[in-house]
Amino acid sequence: MESKSVTKKGKVQTSQMTFGQKIWRNRTLLFMCLPAIVFFIAFSYAPLPGIWVAFVKYNYRDGIFGSKFVGMQNFEFLAQSGKLLQLTKNTILYNLAFIILGNLVAVVMAILLNEMQSKIFKKVSQTMMFLPYFISQVLVGLLVFNLLNYDTGFVNTILVKLGMEPWGPYSDKGVWPVLLVIIHLWQTTGYNSVVYFASICGIDEEIVEAARVDGANGWQKIWYIILPSLKPTVVILLLFALGGIVKGNFGLFYNVVGTNPLLYDTTDIIETYVYRATMTDFNFSTASAVGLYQSIIGFLMVMITNFIVKKIEPDYSLF
Amino acid sequence: MKKKIVASLLSVMMVASLVACGGSSSGDTTETDTAETATEETAEAETEEAETAEADTTEEAEEGAEESSETASDIDTSEHVVITYMTTGGKPTNGATEEMLDELNAILTEKVNAELQIYYIDWTNYLSVYNLTLAQMDGTVDLVGTATDWLDAWPNAKNGAFLELSEDMLKTYCPQTYESVSQEHWDLCKYNGEIYLIPEDNYAQWTNHGFSYRLDWAKEAGLENGVHSWEDMTTYFKYVKEAYPDIIPWDSDGTQYATMVGGWISSHSNYVSIDGLNSGAMWGGTKDDLYTIYSPYVTDTDSLVEFAKLMKEWDEIGVWKTDVLNNTASTNRDDFRIGKVAAEQHHTQTWTDLCSPTASNLIYDESSEYYDEDAETGFFYFGEEMDNLVALSITHGAMAVSAASENPERALMVYDLIRNDEECYKLFNYGIQGKQWDVDDSGLRVTPETYNSETDAITTNFWWGRNDDLEIRSAELNWDAIDSLYADYDKIKIDYPYGQFIPEVDEIQAYIDNITEIHTNYMKQIAFGKYSGTAEEIVAEYQQALKDAGIDTVTAALQEQIDALYK
Repeated sequence: MESKSVTKKGKVQTSQMTFGQKIWRNRTLLFMCLPAIVFFIAFSYAPLPGIWVAFVKYNYRDGIFGSKFVGMQNFEFLAQSGKLLQLTKNTILYNLAFIILGNLVAVVMAILLNEMQSKIFKKVSQTMMFLPYFISQVLVGLLVFNLLNYDTGFVNTILVKLGMEPWGPYSDKGVWPVLLVIIHLWQTTGYNSVVYFASICGIDEEIVEAARVDGANGWQKIWYIILPSLKPTVVILLLFALGGIVKGNFGLFYNVVGTNPLLYDTTDIIETYVYRATMTDFNFSTASAVGLYQSIIGFLMVMITNFIVKKIEPDYSLF
Repeated sequence: MKKKIVASLLSVMMVASLVACGGSSSGDTTETDTAETATEETAEAETEEAETAEADTTEEAEEGAEESSETASDIDTSEHVVITYMTTGGKPTNGATEEMLDELNAILTEKVNAELQIYYIDWTNYLSVYNLTLAQMDGTVDLVGTATDWLDAWPNAKNGAFLELSEDMLKTYCPQTYESVSQEHWDLCKYNGEIYLIPEDNYAQWTNHGFSYRLDWAKEAGLENGVHSWEDMTTYFKYVKEAYPDIIPWDSDGTQYATMVGGWISSHSNYVSIDGLNSGAMWGGTKDDLYTIYSPYVTDTDSLVEFAKLMKEWDEIGVWKTDVLNNTASTNRDDFRIGKVAAEQHHTQTWTDLCSPTASNLIYDESSEYYDEDAETGFFYFGEEMDNLVALSITHGAMAVSAASENPERALMVYDLIRNDEECYKLFNYGIQGKQWDVDDSGLRVTPETYNSETDAITTNFWWGRNDDLEIRSAELNWDAIDSLYADYDKIKIDYPYGQFIPEVDEIQAYIDNITEIHTNYMKQIAFGKYSGTAEEIVAEYQQALKDAGIDTVTAALQEQIDALYK
């Protein structure tokens, strides 16, 4: 209060306000943020001390902080399996494919949607693309099995009717990277394209108008206006996605591949391995240790990518 | 306007995706093993000596009840409490169970001023849900149905989920049970000198695995005496495949690998496994030398190669579906009941149902379209060739008290009644007399004509204290066949020898987890003949992987613990 300086326009300069004044001034905005803030405190920050469980031999009665400290013992299991590298590799490669192809296809779809003239067709196709996102992974797994299984699958029934050899993807590990990426794209493209479609809608009509006056054709409009304006969205979504790059899509892999060891070489990710290996022994501590390992790598990935983005295009970096 | 629509669409989606996150559970159908059939077990819970026992135990039980009420009168039961009993099984929806509980609770209220309610753990992912519920430790449950071999009783006891039951406590609050369980049996329920479990040790049942098969078809195949070896089984499957092309010999799912290879090993050696180490039961001794620990999966190379070859043959015969490893939707047992498959791999208890003309076994039902007048179901049990048979551990079903229970004393009192009080026992296990069950002229238990299994069936899944003294034999079962098999079993069985051994696995758990994983991965390929290359190669690869994962370290650690206990 004492150092209140007034500018020519009569407004208090932000830099000189006290913390309380800033809060008071932005009370409406802050109030609107409140649910999100509460959400993150309750579900992200408050449970943070629980990370400790990864370093103890957890005992129900003693609780997380009363249990015996065992150091890195819970991490040994991952290292001992001798599979950590392969699992991490699988997880990261799949996620890279999902992220890159997923965003690419989504951008293309969003642009195509934007260029459609018929409103009805646009809405219908958007909805059709959107629907798979809401199908439970369990059902997706069943669906895929009914399409592809050897004896009674839809695909094989057709192949046999056409006089061709039946196809056995469930005993052929080579085809799964492709299949899984296709399934994933089928599920998520609709959702992702809406995000991009929204930001295309956010492009200032005047710029497009001006380009048209200057004689830009459809391609030029896409190349010089739409794509550059999508760049920040792409970068931010990429940054978010990279944070989770060592977190596999358990639902998809577990339900589609199941527990078929013939396919593990190409389909086993950290989540599915840990699930199988620890289901028998129900060990909270080991599971948390794995989670922590994934989070740390995720954190590093975000920091590194953010750093790189900042070097190239400071405006697009997250922080 | 457009923006607003998109914005609102986006926010709706965000909410939807948040909700979806929590909802995407995995459709896991882990091996429910013993558990699955147990649903049927209660329905027709059998006894060995019920007929003889019935008459004279009634008096005893009544006497016992008086005694307990005398002791109970010294205990303060002024406050009415609700005791929650946790069991595995689907929650019934027909209301019959609640009706039975009302009647039971009237009795319980009168005797110990408590009432009982049931907390069900559904079969889907039952083990993780079960463990999670225990881990909550918020007093949700009081009595916990548990088992050392299939419900993680010891890990939970070690984790502090179960209350230590002092002998004084048991004597005071659970007097009849305390009397009926021998000191030797109590010793098997101790960890670090404390009792944690109350064993179901007065109930005859066999849960050793094997193949139920169609005896009539086996006879057609030239096996006059039925199937008595894995080789006979091959002959049988071959015949079925040729003679009945519409029938899938055995519509297995991918989870049967461990039981199959385990069965093969007990059929070809004197191996006796230690329960509760991992799902493959990969360590143990031999009948002649119980306390020298080894893993047949490392030593019995020739036998494993032979197994791999035979299973490849089965796969080529077409015993199971080509994509058996991804087959999670098999309804093999139900198909067996209507004659659509030729074999079911499960335990003896399941066979006692399959071989009997019960309501659901339509192959024996003259009025059904699936009726087959020759239908007969035989049982080939694993270990038959070597007479290698181990009786069930008494803690295959046991009751524990949750450490978070607010009324452990009253919980024990309630348990004592439902285990030993004739009226409570019959209500809780069979239902209301005249509605769910009745006794016929020959003293056998029948279902009344008015009984409809959909509306009247009760589900209490009380597999943690069944009592042969109070059991009434079911009239539905094929007792001739069952008694004769049980008599064979009694001639060759040995008692489970490692009852007192509770392995300390903290140091070796990481090894065991990885070994289990290797075992699962290789055995699925071997047991369903899906491996590439020769049998010798795959077995060698498997054994090398086990060695790399440190199986010898685990064996040595277990040997050390066994030596400390038994030498």
